[in-house]
Amino acid sequence: MWAVFKKELKTYFLSPIGYITIGVFMLMYSIFFYLTTISYGSLYLGDLYYATARYGLLLMIPLLTMRMFSEERKNGTEQLLLTSPRSVTSIVLGKFFAAVAIILITILFSTIYAIIISFFGNVAIPTLIVTMLGFLLLAMAALSIGMLASSITENQIISAILTIGILVAPWFLVDISDIFSSIDLIDKFLNFATGVISIADVVSLLSITVMCIAITIILIKRRKTVK
Amino acid sequence: MIEVKNVTKRYGSTIAVDDISFDVKDGEVVGFLGPNGAGKSTTMNMITGFIEPSCGQIIVNGNDISKKPKKAKMDIGYMPENVPLYYELTAKEFVTYMAELKMVKRNVRKQQVQEVLKEVGLQEVQNKLIRNLSRGYKQRVSMAGALIGNPDVIILDEPTVGLDPKQITEIRSLIKKLGQKHTVILSTHILSEVSQICERVIIINKGKIIAIDSPENLEKATKEQNSISITVEDPKDNMKNLKEKISEIDNIELKRDNNDGTKQYIITSSPDVDLRKKLFEILPKEEIVIFELKKTETTLEDAFIKIIDKAKGTEPKRKVENKKAQDSSKDVATKEKNISEERKNKENKKNTEKEEKK
Repeated sequence: MWAVFKKELKTYFLSPIGYITIGVFMLMYSIFFYLTTISYGSLYLGDLYYATARYGLLLMIPLLTMRMFSEERKNGTEQLLLTSPRSVTSIVLGKFFAAVAIILITILFSTIYAIIISFFGNVAIPTLIVTMLGFLLLAMAALSIGMLASSITENQIISAILTIGILVAPWFLVDISDIFSSIDLIDKFLNFATGVISIADVVSLLSITVMCIAITIILIKRRKTVK
Repeated sequence: MIEVKNVTKRYGSTIAVDDISFDVKDGEVVGFLGPNGAGKSTTMNMITGFIEPSCGQIIVNGNDISKKPKKAKMDIGYMPENVPLYYELTAKEFVTYMAELKMVKRNVRKQQVQEVLKEVGLQEVQNKLIRNLSRGYKQRVSMAGALIGNPDVIILDEPTVGLDPKQITEIRSLIKKLGQKHTVILSTHILSEVSQICERVIIINKGKIIAIDSPENLEKATKEQNSISITVEDPKDNMKNLKEKISEIDNIELKRDNNDGTKQYIITSSPDVDLRKKLFEILPKEEIVIFELKKTETTLEDAFIKIIDKAKGTEPKRKVENKKAQDSSKDVATKEKNISEERKNKENKKNTEKEEKK
């Protein structure tokens, strides 16, 4: 897993994708910092992370996941990976955690504004940490969905659009029926933003992540027999 | 040692590889030969564990590739068709990554990477991005990826496609060198390559093995007649009557009039007769001067075409036929025909042009 993780993380910064992802995050985060914090003179950062999670992740996640397996399949490099003695599980996890590492970097950058705010008043550090944890869990769930989308097509654009579709659809489906709120990822972030760790949210986000990773592994293993 | 036992691969209703079995012994260099779409790459992909056979068993050094993939894959170095590479890495980074994937131990990794880079002749460009390397170098990077970790078995899928003649000879000599220490399986549709490098040839067509033998034996087995190419000066045109003088001759054919008084003939006889001695004895008596006399060898190319044609003729119609493979094999056959016809036409043209000049 470590070998794949290292190489993937390196590749994010060899191609501009890593920088663009972090840049997109900082852009969104800065805009919302002005809109939700400065313009209200507020010390509360929950809204800032909520807005960034809602709109920022929508752009960042496909950027990070669209090439994961699509590119390997298109270039034929999956042959190198899958004929190596490494297991499919370790390859998938390596790629997944490399993307998670980029999210961690963005979270690290996001602390800058908290530090700035702290000059003007007391920032509730525990609340902030819980919010960041929620942001990470949410991003992981979204990443796993993106990764799954990437593993079923060799076209990066299709993979990106699929990911955005899956992430956005629940926003509007909720208007049809409340049932769909359970698949709306962003809904599960609301409690974190107020500094509450809800076991239900943690479990549902983690289970979505684990489920999507497992399906990805199964799909890639299955391709061996149908290919 | 690789054992392939009754392996079949189906895609829906088409059969890509149909119940093939063969062994490759340690230290052997085996060539995989066949027209496009015959199932060469599919077979290689199955041996390396990239795709799973529909049925049958593949055992690499005693480990079943489906049941103990990790152990089996440790012993295999694979250079896939179309040389897939990570273009954003440098040659050295790529080989290092492959070393990590193949679980080369950390303390020997750097040294091994350098050794392999040296072996394939990449030392000078090791810090260049693969994206910027020429085709020949890319091929070598891919080969380095297959060699890293010192695997017992090296599988090369069309390693010389797209290279210039100098690079081809370099890669070939590299493969020959590899054959001294490793078991090598390579696929190709360049026949001269096989007869140069391989100890044994597996000819596959439409997913079926139609011949396994050494290149020399294949050439011999498909030889239907002996033919001698002879250039003579024959002012009295006695060559015509030669068939009456030597009864063993099946046919005499004028191949070319050199327009300097000499003519080239092709004399054919049954494969167990060698006419050369007789020709030397009898021709001077007929006032024919021999300029050149040569036994023409059947090439692996002839053998290949004959074997494939034979397989086509005798094979009973299969219910599920791989149409694609069939079509492409036909293409190859017709292409070969076209090429030889073209050559003849050219020669004729040359001759007529010469005559016109005269």
